[in-house]
Amino acid sequence: MATTSSDEKQVMIVAVDDSEHSSYALQWTLDHFFTTLPNPIFKLVLLHAKPSATSAVGLAGPAYVGAAEVLPIVDSDLRKIAARVVDNAKQICSKRSVTDVITEVVEGDPRNVLCDAVEKYHASILVVGSHGYGAIKRAVLGSVSDYCAHHAHCTVMIVKRPKTKH
Amino acid sequence: MKMKVMVAIDESEGSFYALKWALENLFENMASKCYASTAEEAHAGMVENEGGMVFLVHVQPRFAEYGYPIIGPNGFVYLMTIIIMRIILLTTIFAISVEDYVRKSQEEASAAILSRGLHMCKDKKVKAETIILRGDPREMICQAAEQVHVDLLVVGSRGLGTISRLFIGSVSDYCAHNAKVPILIVKPPIKKDTKETQTSAGTA
Repeated sequence: MATTSSDEKQVMIVAVDDSEHSSYALQWTLDHFFTTLPNPIFKLVLLHAKPSATSAVGLAGPAYVGAAEVLPIVDSDLRKIAARVVDNAKQICSKRSVTDVITEVVEGDPRNVLCDAVEKYHASILVVGSHGYGAIKRAVLGSVSDYCAHHAHCTVMIVKRPKTKH
Repeated sequence: MKMKVMVAIDESEGSFYALKWALENLFENMASKCYASTAEEAHAGMVENEGGMVFLVHVQPRFAEYGYPIIGPNGFVYLMTIIIMRIILLTTIFAISVEDYVRKSQEEASAAILSRGLHMCKDKKVKAETIILRGDPREMICQAAEQVHVDLLVVGSRGLGTISRLFIGSVSDYCAHNAKVPILIVKPPIKKDTKETQTSAGTA
């Protein structure tokens, strides 16, 4: 059994984005890991992967002529979204009086960003939400949680939002 | 940590590492005594109690699926060998009931696996219950997690690559997609040389 020294906390990275699913994942994680213990054993890092402007515009089509003009607008828009996401996440944390939080915004493809962050922080656990797509949607849209579950070098926790029953 | 955690264990080391990880990281401040009971082919009744709890679930594959699920070329080979084996056995003089023999050895293996799991829980002073199920591991684990209403499902991972995962199939993969509860996938540790306690046999 590897002994972890008491002053060296284990790092938990929680991936946040604009969706309800990821806020739910963050809330769930905080409720179960951070509020029940007097001194939490994990150091929390909130990571937001900001898609790069070029990739976002690229979705419009490869031959989009006005791309160069649109890029700065798209970029500032993405920055605003990123700031909002981070603020939201910080608010969720402070509501539960969790203050020892690092937040980071990294630009790039979420999949690579998350896996690189795991390496960088030597995280022991990565938490991601899940959109709950079916098999076909997952194949088309791609799944960050899927990619991370396979490729991250640490334990991965996938938090799903329970389907609201009416 | 008042979490109800279900850990899926089988004979692989990956799953025991997952159990160890879960016990170390999720139940740091537990002081409750261990309590265990077993139930066959149905989920056990829970004991409502404060403090966290671990449910050890072990799924015995049915005889026909013993080993790997039947998908892909690998599974087909297994299926063929099993069919051939059965034909050979049936044509032998000895009227051994293969089903019973396999079942008995399965029971012994399961008992060993679960007792090892319980020991680990007891060492960490965590309440544990064991559940034995029979059938397709992937579906049974997801169903069990749902029925017992656990907070978290923990599975190990064999660390297979993308291609082998397609053919051999992956319980953790299936559970990640289909479980209704949050799922924690524990990967086997990469060999690090910094954090492990080094046996300093260097300067003797």
